[in-house]
Amino acid sequence: MTNSMSKAVEVLKSFNPFVEEIDDREIKISLSNDKVISALDVLKSIGFSHLSLITCVDWIDDNQFELVYILFNWEDGGKILVSTRIDRSNPKFITVKELWPVARFYEREIHEFFGIEFEGNDDMRPLFLELWDEKPPMRKDFDPSKYSKEKFPDRKYEKDVIKEAKIFRGEING
Amino acid sequence: MKERTMWEQIADSLRSRSLWMLHYCTGCGAMELPPTMTARFDMERFGVAPMATPRQADIMLITGYLNTKTLRRVIYTYEQMADPKYVIGFGSCTINGGIYFDSYSTINRLDYYIPVDVYIAGCMPRPEAILEAFNYLMEKIRKGEADGWKRYKENYEWYKQNQIRSLGEVYVHDEFHE
Amino acid sequence: MTAVYKAILNLVIAFFFVISLEGIARKITARIQRRIGPPWYQNFIDIFKALSKHPFSNGWIFDFGVLMALGGAIATAAIIPMGSTFWTPFPNTDNFFVIMYLFAVGSLGMAMGMVGSGSPWSAIGVSRALTQMLGYELPYLVVMSSVMYMYKTSSIHLLIEKQATNGWNLYVMPIGAIVAFISLIGMLGKKPFDIAVAPAEIASGPMAELSGKYMGLLQIMHAFSIFVEVGLFVDLFLGGGSLGWFLVKFIVVWVLATLISSVLPRFRIEQMLKFYWGVPLGLAFLNALFVLLGWTF
Repeated sequence: MTNSMSKAVEVLKSFNPFVEEIDDREIKISLSNDKVISALDVLKSIGFSHLSLITCVDWIDDNQFELVYILFNWEDGGKILVSTRIDRSNPKFITVKELWPVARFYEREIHEFFGIEFEGNDDMRPLFLELWDEKPPMRKDFDPSKYSKEKFPDRKYEKDVIKEAKIFRGEING
Repeated sequence: MKERTMWEQIADSLRSRSLWMLHYCTGCGAMELPPTMTARFDMERFGVAPMATPRQADIMLITGYLNTKTLRRVIYTYEQMADPKYVIGFGSCTINGGIYFDSYSTINRLDYYIPVDVYIAGCMPRPEAILEAFNYLMEKIRKGEADGWKRYKENYEWYKQNQIRSLGEVYVHDEFHE
Repeated sequence: MTAVYKAILNLVIAFFFVISLEGIARKITARIQRRIGPPWYQNFIDIFKALSKHPFSNGWIFDFGVLMALGGAIATAAIIPMGSTFWTPFPNTDNFFVIMYLFAVGSLGMAMGMVGSGSPWSAIGVSRALTQMLGYELPYLVVMSSVMYMYKTSSIHLLIEKQATNGWNLYVMPIGAIVAFISLIGMLGKKPFDIAVAPAEIASGPMAELSGKYMGLLQIMHAFSIFVEVGLFVDLFLGGGSLGWFLVKFIVVWVLATLISSVLPRFRIEQMLKFYWGVPLGLAFLNALFVLLGWTF
């Protein structure tokens, strides 16, 4: 753990975090979702000024989305993953575009791929997908294979290649 | 196949010796083109030269996977090219989707949307395979068999219908350009 | 009548000779880059293939601009003397100023037609081409005016005859010849100065919207322009000679320009202008001063 990271863990003690060390330059701090914004603000003020990415994980069995803010320190290269879990059935969170203006694009992307609303960020036009007509595609209950079959016709093969390969390998008799 | 006039035969043999390819790359196959162009394999000796705009180009290389967003631009670009035009599909992604067969945004089969004259199998094909494909395409053009541009005109409704089925709308809406 | 035959010969030589030389230049560049390169007749195939395609038009200004460019280049190529008074098609009109004006018709035609295509790349390319013209024309014209001042004539075939007695201008005013050669590379649009047709930045610039037959016509026009530019340099600085010698000198100048261009990267537009208005323009004025003072060899 680098100096800046141990300092950050020290400062964040009052937020009651669950700290998990991934490797010696990267730690993960899990917080309850009402404390995330103030924790990010504190981290920004002590040197973790670079927001590398905001991303999201779909924990469909827990009925939760996990939001992950990846912060980077330019002083000694420390990296902190601030994560929080929000309700999956009514996914809503607060924007951090006041802290990092670039966040509005990450939030747009997450809204597009996971369907999470960010309060305070009104610009939620589609960013990558064009004319998307299904549920957000990165959700675990979206079936890309079915969608692909419906929308993008596949090539029909007259030969059963897999069967021939099995005959060739002697697994079945042809 | 109908008989070609003498002028068409001459034109075809000229076209086969001077293929200007559109320098537009869609996927990982773009990486295979620099070695094909430069000193090791040198495709210019066959008369294949890169061109910057679709108006001047004769062949379009679809170098790898095509997602729906790129496919719109590819269709635009293809329709901007002057006849006769030829398409080479690189790699298994253009043939049957390759490793992206179940992707929500990547098409599985290129020849549903634009006519393809030559496919190169592989993931990715090596420069030798690309040169082989160029030679095969030249042979096809010389014999007058590379008629993808004619097929596109004759079956325009069918191609449009496939494009609309997969894309919804071919027209590009782009917040950065509107 | 013989004048017309000679003019036609001019055009035939310009077409076949220059397009072969362009192919040879591609071969030379390829050999320098350790490639095999296309055959020397590749450019003929390219042009005739381009003429066999089904192009798109962008309105009548576009069509007219391309034809005007080709017409201007053909008209200029037809009156260029090929190395001696005998091979001068029109001895009364081979004035330097006439050639420059006629040559401008071609460039303006191209600028008009290409801007008429409506593509922003074309417009950027044309504005770059005209800026580049401003760059290389200034030193070139200063050198040319000192040449004309020295021999008190602007007729090209008379200048060739005077060089036969006086020695080549390359030896008489070496600084002027070097400046004119640097300007020539810019005129030809060769490598350090191929700013107008930068394929990687602005999609081949003025030619962005040219398809098929238009492209072929423009390549032919380009061949005639090369004939005019290099031919003028050979006539004015290398003393002309018989037709064979003229062509040999033409090849030498062209190969030299190709060798220089094949090892250099591209200037940016403002670097090009600073370059031309710096050292070459200063040297051109120095040359003019030497000519005025009579300090020539």
